[in-house]
Amino acid sequence: MAEPQFDELIHPSTRLSIVALLAAADWVDFGFVRDRLDLSDSALSKQFATLEEAGYVATERLLVNRRRRVRVRLTDAGRRAFDGHVAALQQIVATADQTVSR
Amino acid sequence: MPQSIGANDARSALTTVEHSRQQVIDEIDMPRWYWLGLAAGWFGMGVISDFGPGWLALSVVPIFGAVHASVAHRVLSGRKRTSQLSVRAELAGTHIPALVIGFLVALIGVTIAIALLVNADGASHPATIAGAFAAVIVALDGPQLMAAVRRRAARRAGP
Repeated sequence: MAEPQFDELIHPSTRLSIVALLAAADWVDFGFVRDRLDLSDSALSKQFATLEEAGYVATERLLVNRRRRVRVRLTDAGRRAFDGHVAALQQIVATADQTVSR
Repeated sequence: MPQSIGANDARSALTTVEHSRQQVIDEIDMPRWYWLGLAAGWFGMGVISDFGPGWLALSVVPIFGAVHASVAHRVLSGRKRTSQLSVRAELAGTHIPALVIGFLVALIGVTIAIALLVNADGASHPATIAGAFAAVIVALDGPQLMAAVRRRAARRAGP
């Protein structure tokens, strides 16, 4: 279980969706994330740039079957931040549930 | 921790996380061509056993096994249905190859049993009939097997 650590950078809904998607995979194609989250290329590129700047994701440009592909993966730091953020969210919910049940 | 995040916001964020994880779990599968190729191969083996020359009927099973082994190792993990992502092993589980191989071994037994029964009943093309039966099982139940794997992965990932 990760140490609860709320992460302001990950928390916005779109970014949280992206990071959660990446957390469940070894790597994900840029197009997969774009299609699943229904984002434009430029909007998704901006989100990846922010996450990459923070050291949370790494991108890799490849030529697969003569087509340019961009693969994105969560770095170890990104995975730790995501796990900590999820633990923090669970802690908030658990604390609220305990308060209600008292 | 920011005070602005309430329990409802946290619940909503956890739902978002769960939704994203489910989208990846939905990708745990084998490519469709794998099951269709396997079904076609199984039926083909039956036909060749009944109608092909003796030397081919004898060598078709090891040839099929060798072709399957060379192709299957790339997709048997169930983590690379498409070239768009690779599902994490801890999410997909490491048991998928053993599960699929077990399914195929059981199917070999079923095919042989059906061929023997049909032959005992006096049918003229027992291997073809048994192969067709097994091919239908592969084409229909193979994807169902992977659907069960996805349901299990979703349960294990949990909320």
